[in-house]
Amino acid sequence: MQIFPKTLNILPLALAFVTFVAGGAVTGIVWFYFSPKNFQVGYAPEQPVAYSHRLHAGQLGMDCRYCHANVESSAEAMVPPTQTCMGCHTLVKAQSPRLQVVRDSWASGEPIEWVRVHKLPDHAYFNHAAHLNAGVGCASCHGRIDQMEVVAISQPLGMGWCLDCHRNPGPHLRPRDQITNMAWEQTASEEAVQALAANVHPPENCSGCHR
Amino acid sequence: MSKREKYSFAAAPATAKKFWKSLEAKENPAAFAKAAEPEFPMGVGTVEDAASVSRRGFLTVATATAAAIGLEGCVRRPVEQILPYAQAPEYLNPGVPMHYATSVERRGEALGLLVTTHEGRPTKIEGNPEHPASLGSTDLLAQAMVLDLYDPDRSNAPKQGEAKKTFADVDALMASIVRTHSADAGAGLRILATPSISPSFLRLRAAVQQRFPQAKFYTWTPVNESNAREGARLAFGEPVVAHHDYQGAKIILSIDSDFLQTESGSIRSARRFADGRRLSQATDSMSRLYVVESTHSTTGANADHRLALAPSKITAYLRALAKELATAHRIELGPLGAALQGASNAGLPTKWISNVAKELVGARGRSVIVAGSRQPAAVHALVHALNAALGNHGATIVFSSVADTTETDQTASITAFAAGLEGAKTAIILGGNPVFDAPADLDLATKLARVETSLHFSGTHDETCHATKWHVPRAHELESWGDLRALDGTVTIQQPLIAPLFGGRTDLEVLAQLAGERNWRGYYVVRQTLRGAAGVQNGFESEWRRVLHRGFVAGSAEPPRPGVIDMSRVATALGRSEPAVDGFEAVFLACAKMLDGRHANNAWLLELPDPLTRITWDNVALLSPKTASELGVRNGDMIRVTRDGTSIELPAWKLPGQPDKAVGLLMGWGRKHAGRYGNDVGFDVYPLRRSDALHSAAVQVAKLAGSYPISQTQDHDSMEGRPIAIDGTLEEFKADPTFAIHRSPTPRTLPLWREVEYRGHKWGLVIDLGACTGCNTCVIACQSENNIPTVGKAMVAKGREMHWIRIDRYFVGEDANEPEVAFQPLACQQCEEAPCENVCPVEATAHSPEGLNDMAYNRCIGTRYCANNCPYKARRFNYFNWHTKNEADEEVPPTRQMQFNPNVTVRMRGVMEKCTYCVQRIETARTATKIAGRPMRDGDINVACAQACPSNAITFGDLNDAASRVSRQNQVSRHYKLLADIGAQPRTTFLAKVRNPNPEMSA
Repeated sequence: MQIFPKTLNILPLALAFVTFVAGGAVTGIVWFYFSPKNFQVGYAPEQPVAYSHRLHAGQLGMDCRYCHANVESSAEAMVPPTQTCMGCHTLVKAQSPRLQVVRDSWASGEPIEWVRVHKLPDHAYFNHAAHLNAGVGCASCHGRIDQMEVVAISQPLGMGWCLDCHRNPGPHLRPRDQITNMAWEQTASEEAVQALAANVHPPENCSGCHR
Repeated sequence: MSKREKYSFAAAPATAKKFWKSLEAKENPAAFAKAAEPEFPMGVGTVEDAASVSRRGFLTVATATAAAIGLEGCVRRPVEQILPYAQAPEYLNPGVPMHYATSVERRGEALGLLVTTHEGRPTKIEGNPEHPASLGSTDLLAQAMVLDLYDPDRSNAPKQGEAKKTFADVDALMASIVRTHSADAGAGLRILATPSISPSFLRLRAAVQQRFPQAKFYTWTPVNESNAREGARLAFGEPVVAHHDYQGAKIILSIDSDFLQTESGSIRSARRFADGRRLSQATDSMSRLYVVESTHSTTGANADHRLALAPSKITAYLRALAKELATAHRIELGPLGAALQGASNAGLPTKWISNVAKELVGARGRSVIVAGSRQPAAVHALVHALNAALGNHGATIVFSSVADTTETDQTASITAFAAGLEGAKTAIILGGNPVFDAPADLDLATKLARVETSLHFSGTHDETCHATKWHVPRAHELESWGDLRALDGTVTIQQPLIAPLFGGRTDLEVLAQLAGERNWRGYYVVRQTLRGAAGVQNGFESEWRRVLHRGFVAGSAEPPRPGVIDMSRVATALGRSEPAVDGFEAVFLACAKMLDGRHANNAWLLELPDPLTRITWDNVALLSPKTASELGVRNGDMIRVTRDGTSIELPAWKLPGQPDKAVGLLMGWGRKHAGRYGNDVGFDVYPLRRSDALHSAAVQVAKLAGSYPISQTQDHDSMEGRPIAIDGTLEEFKADPTFAIHRSPTPRTLPLWREVEYRGHKWGLVIDLGACTGCNTCVIACQSENNIPTVGKAMVAKGREMHWIRIDRYFVGEDANEPEVAFQPLACQQCEEAPCENVCPVEATAHSPEGLNDMAYNRCIGTRYCANNCPYKARRFNYFNWHTKNEADEEVPPTRQMQFNPNVTVRMRGVMEKCTYCVQRIETARTATKIAGRPMRDGDINVACAQACPSNAITFGDLNDAASRVSRQNQVSRHYKLLADIGAQPRTTFLAKVRNPNPEMSA
């Protein structure tokens, strides 16, 4: 006695086909979309203090290095100590409830617990000083921070993205005095761009970044 | 694809010397070669490992793992916080390490150090290049002391018995001690300290003495210089320190002195010794080292001629030599000549007497005789007399005064301390661990228990703390303010790198409290001393800052002086000759790793292979192969060593070159209260060490049933009988300065790939085997720089040790009882045609344009093909997550993480790792010089092993820079490449060792 009708003979073939197509689709989706571009970009955690870069760096026009003071000499961009905040805020908005966390930190000596936004994996050794001194601007990796109310990741920060620039740094370089200029745009000629890159030799080998 | 024919090694020339790593390999090379065949000895995946996992268990784990991997991709990585300072310290630049000058005491010498700190955490220790005692290098203990700082078992609170107390309680206790003894003028106050070279300590001790005139101070440390000091007292009437010029000396005779490793001032000695033997061309000359010793030490391993003598025969040898000098060579010894009349050559090799005497006389004023700290005072005195008679004083030997001129014989001092405890009310013990390491017959523990108030200041809650009423944490050297006087008199500052992690007092602070100083904190004490000594009142602050910056007071060294010897006193001292011992003798040896036991909880040191035996995680009784076979003992068999009814049981080990009938016992092991790593590791030999015979004693030895497993690395990483460590004699070198290349195989493999031309930098390393003394400092330096884990005894037995650089020790020659020794530091050779790179399926290891064999840990999937294909056995695999849990599944404590170098990835399980020429240092220097807008210069980068090396045997630099030190070393004619025939083109190259034997000794 036959339980299954003969038409079901197509089933294994159909299943194989579906598995193949669906499997291919899943692989494709993961391949193309599970990338830092989709998973990293836009990450904007809430910070303990509602610090606005748009206000400070944008409207007030403060230079990045007022707070991130050692960014040109250290691998770390350095989140400023509470001291830096209090430099102004003992006078400006000294009673603002939004700054209570800052004043508490200043009084107690306990650090403000900022949430890290831009995080590279532990085995990637990024060096701010090396990039800034080569002529990479802040905005190249961090985007228009001066327009962000809450800091968000604007670039993929993946290895492929790093290498795009390491392999052809010219278009991403700018004169040293324009490093912190968020609005700067490349207007120079192709020759001038290549001249900027003449002395920049970004590593493309593993140990350039992984140690 | 064509299959290469099976590789056959060029047969070694018949005249070649035989190199062997262990007696087993020497006796049965065929079996040994078979054992070396599998790539991973007893590796994973064998039945032994798999036996415990059932099929079902495997499936469970595999499924869970697959699920975990799947889930991990979906979970956002954890939120991380940035915690900036509330108020940032001045000059601190997060991400840029700072370096501070400080110092540490080592056997009466002050080692100037430069310590690297990352955001306030000390992570790495280097020598201070300007300091006269360290010359920019360190010894291995200094490299390892940063791990002691983060020892998870450090004591974190004062204790009274087992009850936790606070420092306020301690202060109250100190105040009550002061009150009590103000009444009795200190009559019941006993203070035991380790011998101090600190000017502040001496100043405060005098102050305490003045306040409590009846109080008594004692000193004790088990590995001490008392014999040398007493010997100097006999010879010169004062306890002076001798400084030997090992560089200028042509003939060096060591009488049981391990001046290259364990003796006082070893860093400077090793540097100067190596400087006297660096040959670059055929016209260069080198010194000749004769060693007469009662064990096989690192110095003995570097000797051109070595005589192993039982301890009781060494004095006899020296007397016979002195007699030969006086009679055959008419050396003027004055009244001493008569005292030597009785000396006899019985039982001593005559050629060692006649030839050595001839050599010493031939190099008058350019020779050095040095006696070791184990030798009795009379031997030291006689050595001084001989040096004086040979015209060496003022030429190759000069003297300076000791830091503490009142220091007496320490055995007498500790004996008096023990005896005086009967009438004591208060006993204060500053540092040390006397209950563990004092002469066993004194029975300190029982006597201390009877004292009303007893305190021990100690870093850990050790054996002594268990015997005293109170325990108070003592700050680590890296947490303390202090000052030390180097052997040459240089006043060196000790400044803290970090506030005491768990609180803690220093010896200076305790004394200052007792002395009633108002500002008793170490900082004020040291400033006060310096202010008094320097005599600067105006501008003290700026002088103080200069001193802190430099690490020592410039120009404070004492002008060296020649000694004025009194031969008649030496003659009197020599009158009492000790009878030779007929049977077995025990020799108590300072351990190169534990010293006296103080580093017993340091996992780096525990796992470091002993320089000669290559044993890890244990100590053994060293026997000569001959003695062992007479006893019928194999390696690891238990023996009982008995002295007057007291006995210890420990495993025996055959050490080629150990004197017959002399049982070498390494001190400092087998501690009961060291901490989680050091408790009950090894065997305590102190029970046999008594005040009547501190350094050697007649014992009985009996074989016991049973044996004990020993983890040692001497047979690991075999290179299967090929010419690896090449050495020759000075004659051979002069005849053919390029002998090394001729002895190493000729390259005959064509390159697999198109050869790369290295523009820009081309990093290279040259290791001078002639300068390497085999001290193992580089191994620990590399471990602390590169976050290298320790794996434990069981894993070392499986060949899973992780050291990126190792020192292969080869015995050379046919005679198992009198072998020569060759050391060879070996790390990744950074091959230009790297065999490992070709076989990596995921390109986790690839070549950099500067010739580094890069290792991208995160890309590695752990196939281990690379290690399989590495001809130098330089790759190491993480079989477990060593940095989170050990193999017994115990968590690695969080304090350990504080030592990590933040610029080096902490590797996880399943990842291959190896030496990278400290690529983090290269990249740091590259960025720094780029920012400074200048090219990298020779010396901007140094790798950790080269920087630490006391004898400057390792040179790193740019081979494309013709003027760099490494390029010049690379041109030296002794130069050769390891296994050149396989065509791997290693970047690391070697300079062959050259020995300088006396042809008459073999005649």
